[in-house]
Amino acid sequence: MTNTTEFINHLASKLGRPTPTETPPPVEISVPQYRLSNTEERASIFLQNWQALGGKGAIVKSDNDMLQCLKEWFGDLPVTWFKDNPQALIAWDMLPSIAESAFSTLNWPLTRYTQSSLDPRDRYSIAAHAELGITGSDLGIALSGTIVMNSDPLRGRAVSLLPPRHLAFIETTKIRNNLFEVLEEISALGTPPAAIEMISGPSRTSDIEMDLSIGVHGPIEVYVVVTDN
Amino acid sequence: MTMYNLTTDQRVDKALADNFLRQATRRATDRLRNNKYKASDELGNWEEWRNAGETIRKHVIANLDFYLQQLIEQMEKRGVHVHLAKTPADAVGIVRNIVREHDAKSVLKSKSMISEEIHLNHALEEDGAAVVETDLGEYIIQIAGEPPSHIIVPAMHKTRQQVADLFEPIAGHALSSDTPTLTRFVRIQMREQFLRGDIGITGCNFAVANTGSIVMVTNEGNGRMVSTLPRVQITLMGMERIVPSFRELDIMLNLLARSATGQRLSSYTTILTPPKKSADSDGPEEYHLVILDHNRSEILGDKLFRTALNCIRCGACFNVCPVYRQLGGHAYGSVYSGPIGSVITPLLEKDWKKWGHLPYFSSLCGACTEGCPVRIPLHDLLVKLRMRKTQSGHTPQVEQQIFKAYRYLFTREKTLRRALRLGAHLQRPFVRNHRITGGPAPLSNWTKSRTLPMVAPKPFMQIWADLNNKR
Repeated sequence: MTNTTEFINHLASKLGRPTPTETPPPVEISVPQYRLSNTEERASIFLQNWQALGGKGAIVKSDNDMLQCLKEWFGDLPVTWFKDNPQALIAWDMLPSIAESAFSTLNWPLTRYTQSSLDPRDRYSIAAHAELGITGSDLGIALSGTIVMNSDPLRGRAVSLLPPRHLAFIETTKIRNNLFEVLEEISALGTPPAAIEMISGPSRTSDIEMDLSIGVHGPIEVYVVVTDN
Repeated sequence: MTMYNLTTDQRVDKALADNFLRQATRRATDRLRNNKYKASDELGNWEEWRNAGETIRKHVIANLDFYLQQLIEQMEKRGVHVHLAKTPADAVGIVRNIVREHDAKSVLKSKSMISEEIHLNHALEEDGAAVVETDLGEYIIQIAGEPPSHIIVPAMHKTRQQVADLFEPIAGHALSSDTPTLTRFVRIQMREQFLRGDIGITGCNFAVANTGSIVMVTNEGNGRMVSTLPRVQITLMGMERIVPSFRELDIMLNLLARSATGQRLSSYTTILTPPKKSADSDGPEEYHLVILDHNRSEILGDKLFRTALNCIRCGACFNVCPVYRQLGGHAYGSVYSGPIGSVITPLLEKDWKKWGHLPYFSSLCGACTEGCPVRIPLHDLLVKLRMRKTQSGHTPQVEQQIFKAYRYLFTREKTLRRALRLGAHLQRPFVRNHRITGGPAPLSNWTKSRTLPMVAPKPFMQIWADLNNKR
């Protein structure tokens, strides 16, 4: 174990000057960034890119659209799942109200992850045995088809990770053009949350003979509903 | 590991005789390279992104002491345990102590080149901890007991049948060798381990100095598992892996994902600002950051080679290198292979005897330099390393003798003329189509894979003299 001062001084001596006492002036960066003209276009390109990565997605404009969309994707599956596992749908404590009311109308009861058990290992196990993890998202990136989620006591990082399927909701107004805008916005909040997860499509690997295979560790199927109010 | 016990020539011969390896290497590098072209072309201004990447990396390295100090302060302020390791042995010792303190039986690892560099797994296993590599490719080579053959696709030298054969004893039954079956097996097999793991060890693609954050990219999601589920997390980072703030992170993440696999962003990009907040339900309660020097500070102080620290470990130089393409990674014998491996291994390990061959694993065509997203002049560094090796007196005896003879002859005109006449005579048995082939050692070292131009029957000096006489 080396002392920090000693370690840093050693580097300063290698650089041939004392360690600066103030933050060095930032470098100038000028790269033309990807930009779309409006919210509608961003939502549409986001969706295209998300689908190109193998995710399913739809833009919904009303409660009825939302019901239709969930029914189309999952059909009677949740009913079948509940027979074996009443905790088949695991979710954040709070979802966008349009999503909450849809699940309620469909009578698909949600298990709230953070309240599912006091013991973290039990919670992981519940999430791992669930069929579908349901979350919101804080931001999206149109260019890369990415959803961005900040960790928070009412959420749980495992919800978007352990179940074989992940369903996320995002408002059109939360979709940004590019990564730069997302990072700028998160920076402005001050200290970042313990984890920022940026998810672009399902879990994938090409480690065996460069053959693309989906779902080695993370969710195998990923769904996003873009809500347009 | 057997690979490490072979000589350089033996490793090269083995690689050249392995048709699957060579075909797989070509296939993988072609695919990765073409994906990168697509992803960089679509930006339409790739060179500007490269310029920005280079500027940021140079700025960070020139101020590395400041940014490291800032990172450490930010981390410690929040209760992260920061450990500074001068040597690989120090780093191994630090991790070992943490594992022992927690009496951890199960250690889960996501991809970390630093852990390969310090040979961590073996040490932990000696202490009785079960270490599981969770990246599919790393898991395959862990079972096979082999080093990675590519920085991004570590098991690309394995056939699907070989992978199935490696998995079968663990599965306890026969496995079909199709990719979905093998992937599903790993998903099920690994899932239990994820849920039970005591300690997670991850690498670090970037550390953000002003927020004290660690950025990790994976495509499989194993990085998220390892950094979300175990109660204790250890992150290993090379000390140069820093960006000043989120502003620069944007450029670096774009360059990394596009150069490594041709993605706009990797499937999972995770920014950790540990440890978890007290009310958070998931995430490690205890977080250790191990920062490794291992002669990086020597490179920092060496102006000739400082740019080698700019590397972001994307592997783009592997995919364009004609030498790597022919041989794959194992022939290099080092943990880091490809052009960047040939540059940094001799500098990190400081052992010319063991690693002196690496600067010569290059045709100096410059494709690596052109492919590098942060513009490291790799081929230039390889030439300079050859110079450094020669200056340090590690040139092979034969080469030294040849250059001595060269100097002797070319500073003595009459002797040179005599030697050329003698050469023209002696070469006769070996000349085919005006080229020298075969011949005894040391000539055969060259001619076993190439030819030499023959000594002209009539030397130029003679032709010149004859022309003058005719006037």
